[in-house]
Amino acid sequence: MGIEEKVPEGILTTSLDSVINWGRANSTWPLLFGLACCAMEMIATGTARHDIARYGSELFRASPRQADLMIVSGRVSNKMAPVIKRIYDQMLAPKWVIAMGICASAGGPFNNYAIIQGVDKIIPVDVYVPGCPPRPESLLYAMDMLRAKQRRETIGAGRKVEEPLAVEEITPLGV
Amino acid sequence: MPLDVAPVFRSYETQRTLNPPGIPALAPPPEGETEDLQRIAGRFGDDILAAGLHHGNQVVYARPGQLKALATFLRDDPQLQYETLIDVTSVDRSELPLDGEARFQTIYQFRSYSRNQHLTVVTDCLSGTEGNGTIPHVDSLTSIYRGAEWPEREVFDLMGIRFDGHPDPRRILMPKNWPNHPLQKQAPLGGEEVPFTFTWDDPEFETLGTQILAAESAAPDLPPGMSRQNMVINMGPHHPSTHGVLRLVVELDGERVVSIDPDLGFLHSGFEKTGENKRYKDFVYYTDRMDYLSSMSNNLGYCLTVESMLGLEIPERAQVIRVIMAELQRIASHLFWLATHVLDVSGTGMSLLMYATRERERILDLFEMACGARLTVSYIRIGGVWQDLPDAFVTELKDFLRLIPQKISEYEAMVTEAPLWQERLKGVGHVSAEDALAMGLTGPMLRGSGVDWDLRRDRPYSGYEGYTFEVPTRDSGDCYGRFTLRLEEMRQSVRILEQAVDNLPTGLYKSNNRKVALPPRAELDVSMEALIHHFKLMTEGFHVEPGFFYHGIESSKGELGFFIYSDGSAKPYRLHVHGPSFNNLYAIDHLSRGEMLSDVVTNIGSIDIVLGEVDR
Repeated sequence: MGIEEKVPEGILTTSLDSVINWGRANSTWPLLFGLACCAMEMIATGTARHDIARYGSELFRASPRQADLMIVSGRVSNKMAPVIKRIYDQMLAPKWVIAMGICASAGGPFNNYAIIQGVDKIIPVDVYVPGCPPRPESLLYAMDMLRAKQRRETIGAGRKVEEPLAVEEITPLGV
Repeated sequence: MPLDVAPVFRSYETQRTLNPPGIPALAPPPEGETEDLQRIAGRFGDDILAAGLHHGNQVVYARPGQLKALATFLRDDPQLQYETLIDVTSVDRSELPLDGEARFQTIYQFRSYSRNQHLTVVTDCLSGTEGNGTIPHVDSLTSIYRGAEWPEREVFDLMGIRFDGHPDPRRILMPKNWPNHPLQKQAPLGGEEVPFTFTWDDPEFETLGTQILAAESAAPDLPPGMSRQNMVINMGPHHPSTHGVLRLVVELDGERVVSIDPDLGFLHSGFEKTGENKRYKDFVYYTDRMDYLSSMSNNLGYCLTVESMLGLEIPERAQVIRVIMAELQRIASHLFWLATHVLDVSGTGMSLLMYATRERERILDLFEMACGARLTVSYIRIGGVWQDLPDAFVTELKDFLRLIPQKISEYEAMVTEAPLWQERLKGVGHVSAEDALAMGLTGPMLRGSGVDWDLRRDRPYSGYEGYTFEVPTRDSGDCYGRFTLRLEEMRQSVRILEQAVDNLPTGLYKSNNRKVALPPRAELDVSMEALIHHFKLMTEGFHVEPGFFYHGIESSKGELGFFIYSDGSAKPYRLHVHGPSFNNLYAIDHLSRGEMLSDVVTNIGSIDIVLGEVDR
């Protein structure tokens, strides 16, 4: 006994949440921003063989104002940290962050004076990708994980997910 | 809350354990004589403290007061003609048995291209006072060799040695408010204790994923020599055309560039300090991450330096495999340079990026066949290579070699003759041969200005003397010359590859010396001796005779040099990397002055920098 019975054939109803999340998850524009070795694999992900365009994410934007996703691709030095924070602040909400590779996730082999031990000390991270550097397939899998996360979001409560997800729930196939 | 940048001291990382008595030791005095050394000794007499050969390199110990006179003599004397100062580095000997000698030494690498000679000059630093502390200082060579400017700034930044008469004595890599000079031995390695916990209730994870620190903003100060009369704009460190995290402060008069001040260090990762805390074999993995577009070349340069210090013989097959890998890497690196260069100059030319990376992916596939990794390969190890080539490798490589020449011609046809391409490249970024030598440029930047020099031909290593290839040069000295030069270099690499793959010998793929190279895995199951060797190498590593050595190879971007000072222990006492991108990037100001702002982008692409190597 819903509205579906009253409207003519060929019209679907849905919640605003799902339609917005559908749009966001299928056209997440990354920031054109590379740091170190992982940036080479990020570029490889963008080129023909791995073809990130299948995810609607081929449009790498150089301006943080036009980007939804920051892929932190490489080690973050003490000198670079304030810059990354500023670029993140310049991005418009909703925005997501992928820490690509072990350096961005936890400092990796560079446990020394120069490198911040994980970019999550400066900005919040949605998906961590292991690898040194992660293969393009790993980055695509991270995009999948991110899409699953994006689809759970609600416009009402901003970026808060109502209840914490179990690890097995955040799989690309679970949606 | 500002970021906590105070380095942590971790005793277990800096301990120099397991050393037999007699270690650490100073470098021994050099022995032997050559014509050049006799001429220098004849001119300076008692001001030369020692001169001779050390690991086959000519070494001169000079008094600090005579350094400038010596450098002028080296450059201007018609019988010496050392046109270029390749590298400046330094060593802090405070952990060595000094016996009253000076703590800091600076080490200079001079090169004569016309006479094919290499000379190392070592000088003690004088001790001066500043405030209530003592500081080491020595004369600057910038007035004689212009290219000394950046290396000397780097030595000051990382080691704290002041250069008297340096025109621009600022820090170059570290933030300007950094508390110490990281390469001094009393400066800790830093980093964090690695946390280990069983439970998510640990306070460590309380703020995980939600913490946002307020970071300090960099104050916008005007670099020395720039005027607010002109427009000063900022390019980077987040900019699509700077090939990474490079920041350029550009002073503009209208659309014309007045001067450029590059701000480096946004990717400074402490490679040299880390290397001093790792065993010799463990640093191979780090070299991958410096010039990450030429990992194989980096592996090779480092391994050759250590092997030369050990006096290790490398089996024939390993040498040929190394040449194959280095040349494949050169093609891959040049393909990526071509892709990004066209993308930068055109702004929208994505198609060549797609085409060139298609061929690059094939090379990465070959690497993956050999070692399982695409980018950070660590395939070339001390003593040989990690594993033998798989059977299918040679077939695949031959397939690739059939394909690549026509692809290079195809890409050449796409852009070389295009009027717009020529308009943007011809006459842009000109550097004369004299300037290139004075600035210490290497690789395509040097050959593009007409200097006929290639380390593979002129100071051969890894058996390059057995291959027939040409060293292309261009006299134009502009971006267009360097563009056609690199295309030709790719063709020459294909030639070398064809010869190498046809003459791939059978035999050992790594040295049989079990004191240095690991025994093959299968041997561990049957031989107790192999197991002991494996255990000793993995826990203690091997020791290298006290001394120092500089070795350069021709990487895709220029001369990639490694300098190692050994105190006889299993870790390098001082490890310095001479990155070609670092010296070549110094030319950006010279190349771009008086040109349009858009030409700056062309010049960056033409220099072919990788920031991992510039900042190290």
